[in-house]
Amino acid sequence: MWRDAALVAGKDLRIEARSRVATNQVAPFAVLVLVLFGFALDPDRGILSRASAGLFWVAVLFSALLAVQRSFAIEAVDGGGDGLRLLGLDPAGIFMGKAAAVFVELAALELLLTLGVVVLYGVDLGGAALMVATAAVATLGLAAAGTVYGALSAGLRVRETLLPLLLLPVLAPVLLSATRAWEVALGTSVDDGWRWVQLLGVFAVVYVTFGLVGFGALMEES
Amino acid sequence: MTAIDAPSRAAPGRRRLWVAGAVIVAALGFLLFQGLGEATVYFKTADEAVSQKEDLGDRRFRLEGAVVPGTVEAAPGRVAFEVRGAGGGTVDVVHQGDPPELFQPDIPVVLEGRWDGDRYASDRIMVKHTSEYRAENPDRVDEYVGKDRAGGQ
Amino acid sequence: MTAPAHDRLPARSQASFILGAAALLALVSTIVLGLGLPPTLEQGPYARLIAIHPPLAWAAYLAFGVTAITSVLYLWSRTRRRVWDRVAASSAEVGVVFTALTLVTGSIWGRPTWGVWWTWDARLTSTALLLALFLGYLALRGVQTDVHTRAKRSAIAALVAVVDVPVVHFSVEWWRTLHQGRSLAQLTPQSDLDGSYVAVMLLGFMAMTLVYGWLLIERYRVEALEEHFEDQGLDRALEERRAEAEAVVAR
Repeated sequence: MWRDAALVAGKDLRIEARSRVATNQVAPFAVLVLVLFGFALDPDRGILSRASAGLFWVAVLFSALLAVQRSFAIEAVDGGGDGLRLLGLDPAGIFMGKAAAVFVELAALELLLTLGVVVLYGVDLGGAALMVATAAVATLGLAAAGTVYGALSAGLRVRETLLPLLLLPVLAPVLLSATRAWEVALGTSVDDGWRWVQLLGVFAVVYVTFGLVGFGALMEES
Repeated sequence: MTAIDAPSRAAPGRRRLWVAGAVIVAALGFLLFQGLGEATVYFKTADEAVSQKEDLGDRRFRLEGAVVPGTVEAAPGRVAFEVRGAGGGTVDVVHQGDPPELFQPDIPVVLEGRWDGDRYASDRIMVKHTSEYRAENPDRVDEYVGKDRAGGQ
Repeated sequence: MTAPAHDRLPARSQASFILGAAALLALVSTIVLGLGLPPTLEQGPYARLIAIHPPLAWAAYLAFGVTAITSVLYLWSRTRRRVWDRVAASSAEVGVVFTALTLVTGSIWGRPTWGVWWTWDARLTSTALLLALFLGYLALRGVQTDVHTRAKRSAIAALVAVVDVPVVHFSVEWWRTLHQGRSLAQLTPQSDLDGSYVAVMLLGFMAMTLVYGWLLIERYRVEALEEHFEDQGLDRALEERRAEAEAVVAR
């Protein structure tokens, strides 16, 4: 299973590295979202830095949507998905591989967005441990849930519009928890941030488990 | 890559399914027993607002407490009163705007605003009504409700 | 695509008619009696909304519960029937209507009593999320694809979405909310609920359950009719093509 996962993750990341879609489209899109928030909220100085945690995670959520869509689009062309199945790879391994690739892409994106938030919104970073832990666990949850729902909408004719409608409500708890935790880390609210990390952890565990077991059934007839 | 034992892998084993179910249930159970109450604070009680005053600074937060009778001073577009938490901590509140219809002494309220010096500057009052449904008019009220209702108003 | 020999045309049954009549009667009496409730000490006349709002929420829970159970029945290969898929779809659609009505009546109640139409407390947020999750479910159902694929994927989506139902229900106990606690949870002799309120509320629960049952049956019938005519249309098209071919051969 682990070997299969590494193979699939390696394949996906290699495709992204060579096609440059992630670097040329997804990353600029994420930064663009930050800039658009800036345009919309600029007149009230201070509101950007106060809302930065939420805006950051909204930008991550939108980008995650693109990353997941992309992750399954590459299987749709030239019968890639069928190929994966015919190779006899473990479905759990395929799930882990695809989720891992999305995780790596999102993690890189979050670094970029953090830089963007600091530069564009004038945020003072603080509580590094809480920030990193939140980001790691939240991204795991996003990648796992995203991969499950990517498979759920794969192969359907209207998946481009269907996926956001299906996935965004499911990811809402991640947006909520990660935002609250970051608000604590950035000092815009007073609360126990680690509790939110626990909540994110439970979300991630549930979807990783769900994906490991259910992915085979989802892939069967897509 | 050479593995062609696909049939054995096609369906997840029954055992795997059970393990997965157990993990998910355990994770959700952990959530329940950990008690989310403290983390997901929709409002801070008057007691917490007083004890965390330093940390809160001028950040916005929601404040909950019961309106202390005899402290309400209403002026057009403005109302001042005190709220008290269950632990006895009281907060002076100045609210910009008119209070909602059900606003009255003793009723619990949730306010939105921030500390402004020693007072709490509020810009929204929400009345947190309880699940009490006692009839106003006495002639159709059951005997047990009748007694403590007299003290209610 | 080989449709099994189709069950007879689903007609409006007498049972459904009786259920519909009972639902209407219960609903009307709930409204009449609800409007006749005495104003309460704390909320005045607005407290009367309790005859409608909690029963609507209950009907939504019930609908999504039925969707979840039938989804499991469909996913489990031993109990897999097309019927379960249709029931799940019909029930979810009715549930979405009830959830939306819960939000609307709650908002109308909140404005005069709390002073706001909406606030982001745990009860309201999780209910809004529930609506969004099942709107997604219905969107997935609307996709044109192989019947089995759609049924299976929808069932999985429904099972994920239904997790939110207990969260909505217990949110007022797990977290601090603006929303009041559960009213019927404290239905004891020493309760703060006026006797007439308890009676009308229970009537309301009954009425909404009946309305749900009737809507489910009728929605299911429409679903079955749709499938019936789709199959019929296919059969007719096949026959026409065959006739054309025969005509050519005969010439």
